[in-house]
Amino acid sequence: MSKQSRQDGTPDQSRRKALKAGAAIGATVLGAPWVARFAHAQGMDLGAYQSAKINWRQAEGQTVRAAVIPASYFDNLIALAPEFEALTGIKVVFDKVPPGQIRQKAVLDLSSKTGNISTHAGDPMYLPLYAANKWTDPLENYLNDPKLTDKAWFKYDDIFEAWRKADMVDGKTYGIPYDGEMTIQTYRKDLYDAKGLKPADTLDQIVSNAKALHDPDKRMWGFCLRGMPGAGQNMYIYPSLLGAFGGKWFDAGGKIKVNSPEAVAALDWYVTQNNAFAPKAAQNWNWPDIADAFAQGTIASFIDGHSAATVIANPERSKVMGKIGFARWPKGPSGRRVSSIWNWAMPINSALPEKARQATWLFIQWAASEETQARTSFKFKGPGKRYGVNRLSMWKTGPYSKTIGDAGSNFLEASLDSLAQDTDVEWRPRVAQWPAIGETMAKIVQSALVGQVKSKQALDDAQIQVERIMRGG
Amino acid sequence: MVAPGLLVLVATTTFPLLYLLWQSLQNINLAMPGMDRYIGVGNYVRMWEDSRFWGALSYTGIYTGVTVVLQLVIGLGMAMLVLRIPRAQWAFRVAAILPLVLAPVVVGLFWRTLMLTPDFGIVDYASRSLGLGSHNWLGDPELARFSVIAIHTWQWTPFVFLYMLAALAALPEDLYEAAKIDRANAFRRFMHITLPLIRPAIVVVVILRMTVALAAFAAIYAATGGGPGTATEIVNLYAYRVSFAELSLGYGAAVAVVLLAITLAVAAVLFRIRRAT
Amino acid sequence: MSRRSGSALRGAILMAVSAALLLVWILPVLLSVLTSFKDEKEVLAYPPTVVFEATLKNYVAVLAGPSSIVPNLTSSLIIALATTILSIVIAVPAAYAIARLRLPGRQPLGFYVLATQLVPPIGLIIPYFLILNGIGWMDSYKGLVLIYITFSLPFAIWLMVSYFEDIPREMEEAALLDRASRWQAFWYVVLPQARGAIAVTVIFVFLNAWNEFLFAVILGGATVKPVTVAMYNYINTEQTQWAQLCAAALIAMLPVIVLGIVAQKHIVKGLTAGAVKGSGRR
Repeated sequence: MSKQSRQDGTPDQSRRKALKAGAAIGATVLGAPWVARFAHAQGMDLGAYQSAKINWRQAEGQTVRAAVIPASYFDNLIALAPEFEALTGIKVVFDKVPPGQIRQKAVLDLSSKTGNISTHAGDPMYLPLYAANKWTDPLENYLNDPKLTDKAWFKYDDIFEAWRKADMVDGKTYGIPYDGEMTIQTYRKDLYDAKGLKPADTLDQIVSNAKALHDPDKRMWGFCLRGMPGAGQNMYIYPSLLGAFGGKWFDAGGKIKVNSPEAVAALDWYVTQNNAFAPKAAQNWNWPDIADAFAQGTIASFIDGHSAATVIANPERSKVMGKIGFARWPKGPSGRRVSSIWNWAMPINSALPEKARQATWLFIQWAASEETQARTSFKFKGPGKRYGVNRLSMWKTGPYSKTIGDAGSNFLEASLDSLAQDTDVEWRPRVAQWPAIGETMAKIVQSALVGQVKSKQALDDAQIQVERIMRGG
Repeated sequence: MVAPGLLVLVATTTFPLLYLLWQSLQNINLAMPGMDRYIGVGNYVRMWEDSRFWGALSYTGIYTGVTVVLQLVIGLGMAMLVLRIPRAQWAFRVAAILPLVLAPVVVGLFWRTLMLTPDFGIVDYASRSLGLGSHNWLGDPELARFSVIAIHTWQWTPFVFLYMLAALAALPEDLYEAAKIDRANAFRRFMHITLPLIRPAIVVVVILRMTVALAAFAAIYAATGGGPGTATEIVNLYAYRVSFAELSLGYGAAVAVVLLAITLAVAAVLFRIRRAT
Repeated sequence: MSRRSGSALRGAILMAVSAALLLVWILPVLLSVLTSFKDEKEVLAYPPTVVFEATLKNYVAVLAGPSSIVPNLTSSLIIALATTILSIVIAVPAAYAIARLRLPGRQPLGFYVLATQLVPPIGLIIPYFLILNGIGWMDSYKGLVLIYITFSLPFAIWLMVSYFEDIPREMEEAALLDRASRWQAFWYVVLPQARGAIAVTVIFVFLNAWNEFLFAVILGGATVKPVTVAMYNYINTEQTQWAQLCAAALIAMLPVIVLGIVAQKHIVKGLTAGAVKGSGRR
């Protein structure tokens, strides 16, 4: 280089400086967690796990790669991972993937059999796809193997039945629920009390409640449902409405039919009520947006995941603390209430060698065990409340039950009742083609929501596309 | 050093192209593994009859054309404006790169929720305060198409601004002096002196911006996800949806191939123009 | 000297107008800055607040909390630096060769090089996924940098070729007549002049590598986790942490801005047809 350019301070020099600085930071930062983990390992109490009559160390030396979504309930698990490593000698590596991409990443890995992801936070609606392709193992092989699972200790049946069923395909389990949720009615108790309103028991009542409180000029919207298109977004609410109107996904011949009269009625209700009582923005809203709006005090009632409590019952984010009430889904014209069944199901990648799969099972068993569920929720030393612990016993009694009950009036009862009585495993069609069907329906539901097309037309269009998808075209 | 570098480049890019072509001739549906088979041009035939594809294609054309033209006009205009203020130019240059540097994903999200949300966003607040009323910027299909173009233009115009600034700054003074002596007015000076001289730079910038616009993904995905309905679904996004959401890899590959072919054709034309200047 | 004061006034007006336009243009960035100092509750307040109780806790959480993005910044820095350095080192001589040496078939080669850039990213994810897995470079720096280079190399080559073709050859010719080798002519005569173009190329190659998301999320993992993915995770499954997201986004912008400031000095030296006497209106 010429003398002149050296004086000017070329990109080379700044690059070199940046590299040095980066290396220094890198060294500190990479070293810190190791020190922290080491310190943490010293003070661990593994007695609760060691009471299980299995050899936790039978897959020592293996590495489990878990892909999870960013969420406090997984962050807590990641923080607890050193305990698992100390217990089993199995190393766990986590990859935090945004929820919008994790399904794709998992499918890519599973389909090409590259074995990069041992287990992941799986979408139960994808399990039929996994099963059809034999990408993940049926877990009965592991559950029923006394060398791998101490059934009495693990108490698999303590996990919510609805979630266990949702994770089964053709009678075989393909994922173990780690965390989950249900959809329930959420409303501003203070506003309802002021006007003498009761939480809605039927869909008509929720409409009249909304009307009573709807005042957009004062920035108060009566009722809100999410509209964002997506198999896991607006197609998370529409199926509940479909059920409420008595609709079914399959016709008498076992084929998928999406444009039945009940379906049209359900979509009409969705469109009408959201356009009447929800902010316009709701057409593009997902549940965190609704939760944020409710927390700011601009929504009077909504129906969505109970996990919205993370926002609306969080003093750091919510302006409506102590003013929230919860109730089950209102009944539709058919007399049914249908809540969602959602959980993050952890499968085992079939492309791994046997020892690696056993290690993965040990990890899953540990994560879903009562002790770990406790340690990542009420026993956790740090922020991050879990609202979706997977065990019924913990919800019914005990310290967990107490900590989450304070989210609002009737939270515990509404959630438990919903899970016990309002769930329907076939709430969405559990076929391998669900990803495509869900996306197609989602687009069409949103087109109807924004008024691009009428409900009947929308569903007729959807039917044509769904038939093509089911043909495999 | 040149040869091996280029060799690696050619190798790593040729394989994906061939793979893509091969995949586009198959029917691959991850949901129905038993039905994978070679179908020749079946996917392309399907595309011909796919109205959603044509919709995506037409919107892609509009989107790309409008944003590139807007970027050019605004960027060039700003460059010419700023050129006359020599002292503070560095401040403008630094400030201008800020939108460029913000990660597209954050751009999309920010615009979607904090800026454009009706009743809740800042743009909405501003438009109400100015008496323009509230609009559903991302929820109404027509407005959404416009909003998405605006977001992309917002983020990438600074590139044109910087590039044009450098190009204009390099033009020799003497030509302008001569023109001023000839008493040519500003407009004529621009049309007959400036424009021809910077035409090569314009073509370069247009090609670069066009390729980015066609490959735009992160910002639109974060802002509208291709919605409402399929209003803002550019072909790139449609290919993604087909491949990864509908798991129809063969068809998705075919869509990608068609997009590539169109892009190449347009680029070839622009390249010709460049050769000619 | 009425002409002078007239133009001084005009200069002031132009300055004001330009400043106003610029302010409006970077408003979203300014809003990000504002938001990053707000309490989460305050972020979504409507009407949006400009005066509020500022807090640094978002920055503290983003840098020193349990989900600190510092490892991600390091990750991004490694990827972006490696990509940039390798790309420039290969691209600049290659571009010069293509521009000067009249290689046979250089027209189609130039076009092919650009064309490889035009493949839609979507079409590339699966093949690249398979390639990286095949050679065992999945979730590794060398793997991701290799992929990034396939994007930035054509771009860099093409940018530099355009530049080299446009600059006059007199100086090199003079050097060659002085019995310098082609390589010496390149290194000592052409390269210093090309600083502007190289600076622009460096910035944009770095920027593309720094801000890339899709390939990073699919081809990266536990080891390679750049800051774009980490930022996206502030939109977590339960809530969107806007204030922290803004803080993280702003921090992520800093390295590129620093690079931009350092390099922009070189950009002013002219990008096209530079090096003629009397150029520039500085």
